[in-house]
Amino acid sequence: MKAYKVLRADGRGVFTAFRWPLPAARPGEWVRSEPKPCRSGIHACRPSHLPLWIGRSLYEIELDGEIVDDAMKVVASQGRLVRRIDAWDEQAYDAYTRMCADRAHELARGHGLDNWEAVIEPSVPEGGALLGFVAARIAEELDGVEGYHRERATQAEWLAERLQLSS
Amino acid sequence: MAHSPLHISCQEVVELVSDYLEQALPADDAALLEQHLNFCDGCVWYVDQVRTTINVVGELRAEDVPEETKAKLMIAFRDWKRG
Amino acid sequence: MSSVTVTRDEADLVERLRGGDEAAFETLIESYSGLMLSVARSYVKTRAVAEEVLQDAWLAVLQGLERFEGRSSLKTWIISIVINIARTRGAREARTVPFASLAPEHQEAAVDPDRFRGAGDAFPGHWWAYPANWNERPEEVILGRETLEVVTTAIEQLPDAQRAVITMRDIAGCSPEEVCETLALTEGNQRVLLHRARSRVRAALERHLGGA
Repeated sequence: MKAYKVLRADGRGVFTAFRWPLPAARPGEWVRSEPKPCRSGIHACRPSHLPLWIGRSLYEIELDGEIVDDAMKVVASQGRLVRRIDAWDEQAYDAYTRMCADRAHELARGHGLDNWEAVIEPSVPEGGALLGFVAARIAEELDGVEGYHRERATQAEWLAERLQLSS
Repeated sequence: MAHSPLHISCQEVVELVSDYLEQALPADDAALLEQHLNFCDGCVWYVDQVRTTINVVGELRAEDVPEETKAKLMIAFRDWKRG
Repeated sequence: MSSVTVTRDEADLVERLRGGDEAAFETLIESYSGLMLSVARSYVKTRAVAEEVLQDAWLAVLQGLERFEGRSSLKTWIISIVINIARTRGAREARTVPFASLAPEHQEAAVDPDRFRGAGDAFPGHWWAYPANWNERPEEVILGRETLEVVTTAIEQLPDAQRAVITMRDIAGCSPEEVCETLALTEGNQRVLLHRARSRVRAALERHLGGA
């Protein structure tokens, strides 16, 4: 099954600092781990989950074996990195951040949320993950849980289109 | 502060860190915590501080035992044997 | 899962000890005295007193050998003996109240609530100012003697129940199950006490290392 994996700029896992075998001309080696969501296993995401986990470098990952579909991610017993998503570069990252910031402004200004408006630009240097959260939080403030999910879906669509991702 | 099922705040994170590092958090809470860490450097550094604290405490585990102390213990052992 | 009961090697050592085997005792004191001193040190004011506790503890181990049934690991049994002796010693010195219940009662925040944004803010519950990134500190400082002393003092100053748990878990490396059994705690209580202890020690470290 095809999915996506966010890694740190140096190729390590974000939460475990695990050194992933990186793909070059060919996929990286298979990595195996018993799937227990949040404890062990190969963690990855579908395009719809990506805004929650977005970071500096993105890879396409092939998952196999036992696969557990969790609400916010996918966990498998084995996975290997197939290719780096080169389209996810510095420009794309900044463009995503700006897109989220603009959305946040639109929502905040449109509804007189001054305290939110004030935190948007200062948050920009911290990047897309934070701005995505800000935009979704403002939407939640206005429209509750539905608003939050709608905003996240919009973010996921933007990423999928920009990066030509498929499920 | 209302508890949202969608996200947690830094103030909640600092109460959950120890359980997270113990792998004792329910999967849902662990996922929310990690999502938060993904966008919050402050909490990443806080979690790291707790890890470092645990490591430093672990460094306390082996005090040096001087030879004199060991010798006294062996004497005590022989006394105990006799008694 | 860790071994909560005595291992076969340990059982063998205990048997030899009961038979008065000096080499067995020597092995034992080599293996555990360093750890026992650390545990004692977290309860009493000076290294000298900790050494006295060590002596008393080994005597108590020898005297208690007949009663040791192997239902806990040898390490846990020995550590709990040290804690009991050290605690009495420490209490006598400091004239603190001897221990009542271990269960955590009142609320205790891991971090001063003032460090987080309030309800009216766009980001309620988020940091006002981020904590420092300790990865930027040189390792010699983090693992240096001064830091170890700060941590030792912080542990000495913990409420008794928190000190017992962090000593057994993070200094002695006992498993959660062993700690619960030894200190008669529920799993939940053990986690709360460990959390609070670690939070206080972290705060002490933070004050020492400086920079928010």
